[in-house]
Amino acid sequence: MGSQLNESSKAVKKQIPVAEGLFYQPSSPGEKPYLIGSKCTVCGYITFPKIPVCPRCAKKDTMGEIHLSGKGKVESFTIVWSPLPGFKAPSVQSYIKLNEGITIWSLMADCEPSEEALKIGMDVELVIGKVREDAEGNEIISYQFRPVKNN
Amino acid sequence: MRDVVIIGVGMTRFGRFLDRSPQDLGREAIWNAIEDANIPLKQIQVAYVGNAVGAQLNELKGTIGQHVLTTAGIDSIPVTNVENACSSASSALRLAALEVASGNHDIALAVGVEKMYTGDTAKAAASMASGTPYAKYGFTFVAEYALNLRKWMRKYPAVKVEHFAKVVVKNSKNGSLNPYAQFRKPLSVEDVLHSRMVANPLTLYMCSGIGDGSAAAIVCTKKIARKYTSKPLIEVAACELLSGTYTYPDEAHEACSSRAAKQAYERAGIGPEDVNVAEVHDAMAPAELKLYEELGFCQEGESARMIDEGRTMINGTIPVNPSGGLAAKGHPVGATGLAQIAEIVWQLRGEAGDRQVSNPKVGLTQNQGGLVVGDNAACVVTILKK
Repeated sequence: MGSQLNESSKAVKKQIPVAEGLFYQPSSPGEKPYLIGSKCTVCGYITFPKIPVCPRCAKKDTMGEIHLSGKGKVESFTIVWSPLPGFKAPSVQSYIKLNEGITIWSLMADCEPSEEALKIGMDVELVIGKVREDAEGNEIISYQFRPVKNN
Repeated sequence: MRDVVIIGVGMTRFGRFLDRSPQDLGREAIWNAIEDANIPLKQIQVAYVGNAVGAQLNELKGTIGQHVLTTAGIDSIPVTNVENACSSASSALRLAALEVASGNHDIALAVGVEKMYTGDTAKAAASMASGTPYAKYGFTFVAEYALNLRKWMRKYPAVKVEHFAKVVVKNSKNGSLNPYAQFRKPLSVEDVLHSRMVANPLTLYMCSGIGDGSAAAIVCTKKIARKYTSKPLIEVAACELLSGTYTYPDEAHEACSSRAAKQAYERAGIGPEDVNVAEVHDAMAPAELKLYEELGFCQEGESARMIDEGRTMINGTIPVNPSGGLAAKGHPVGATGLAQIAEIVWQLRGEAGDRQVSNPKVGLTQNQGGLVVGDNAACVVTILKK
């Protein structure tokens, strides 16, 4: 944390989650991050993010919170050369099929933005990290997936 | 329900007009429709005004419909503002048609207006994604199209990027014949494939750009229409709006546009084989291929052959996007649906000039908007008959 050495005149940069209730960021080295989803106690339908009413059963109060493992496979990917303001370019956006069965949209982290560096079906894991900075220089953090080493 | 006909349509040219307000664009489209209908302005009894991203991009943040209409000279009547992302304008048409069909009013106006270009295209692009909860995570629509296209290309290996380029070549040629189009340069396959990459495999020329514009239509009963005009009356045989289903990208589901099309065919009492001309939502040109299948113009997996054989060209068996489509005509999002309607009305009347399809009797428009999980937020399919 070299940036904290001469912080007397500078505000400490904060890490701000992109949205509340989307993921858990570990606070100690022994913990793993997870995504916060929901599962219907009647039909078993799984969603991410968490939602209050099951779209299949359409009954009140059947959805319970679950923690999604954060393991999955690349279902589709694209290299984005014109991202939204503040986001890195080029970068990789993907569909990730989670081990729990649902396919979600995600940014990719720790991978070269090239057709050769990525493969459909490759194993990926959840990582929480910076996706952009806000106007004050704070880090906006979000869920991302990265290739599992020795893939 | 009573029969509903379109008595007049009008639009502005689509383009980038830094010095024009949404009110000014809307006024021009409304008066073009009024003059086309040959109807006194004060005969309009009710109006619906579509707009998608004005609250984010324009100085005016609310009740844009009332401001547009008063600028055009229309006040005191019931006005409702309609926001359904890129399908706002056809959603407005549906409500106007229902006013007449139900007998609540006899003459109704639908307007779509969008002013996206403010000198900052990144801001305009961000406004599009902001209709989803995922924008703050970095989600973009062009990437979403790319992710789905790649899954589709894996399923049907016969579909190649050259086919996407051929759609752009067809539509850019059509757009070059359309005085209302934003982009009027015919492009070659090489132009398209060698243009800047936006999100693999989508290149710049495959994507619709940022633009401004407005379009309008006036609907009424057949009896009233005959009092004002001697032009062919264009019947609104169906104007069906559906939301997408709550499904993840990998979950089997029937696409929103396919469901809306089936409902529209049933209401109009026709099948896809009866459609003579169509305007479809090619926000990214390759999506047009997928729509050939979803609208029933060909079987699943056969769309690449459709474009190879030129069947959707102006002189083909089922011409698609004779106006140039969204990529060539331009895509001021909240105006697009009614610009599609205007094109089909002109085609059915035989007024489409150099891009006229040979004697069409039935036309279709498909206009979609937004994203909820893995499906469109909204889709409108309209069928018009001469």
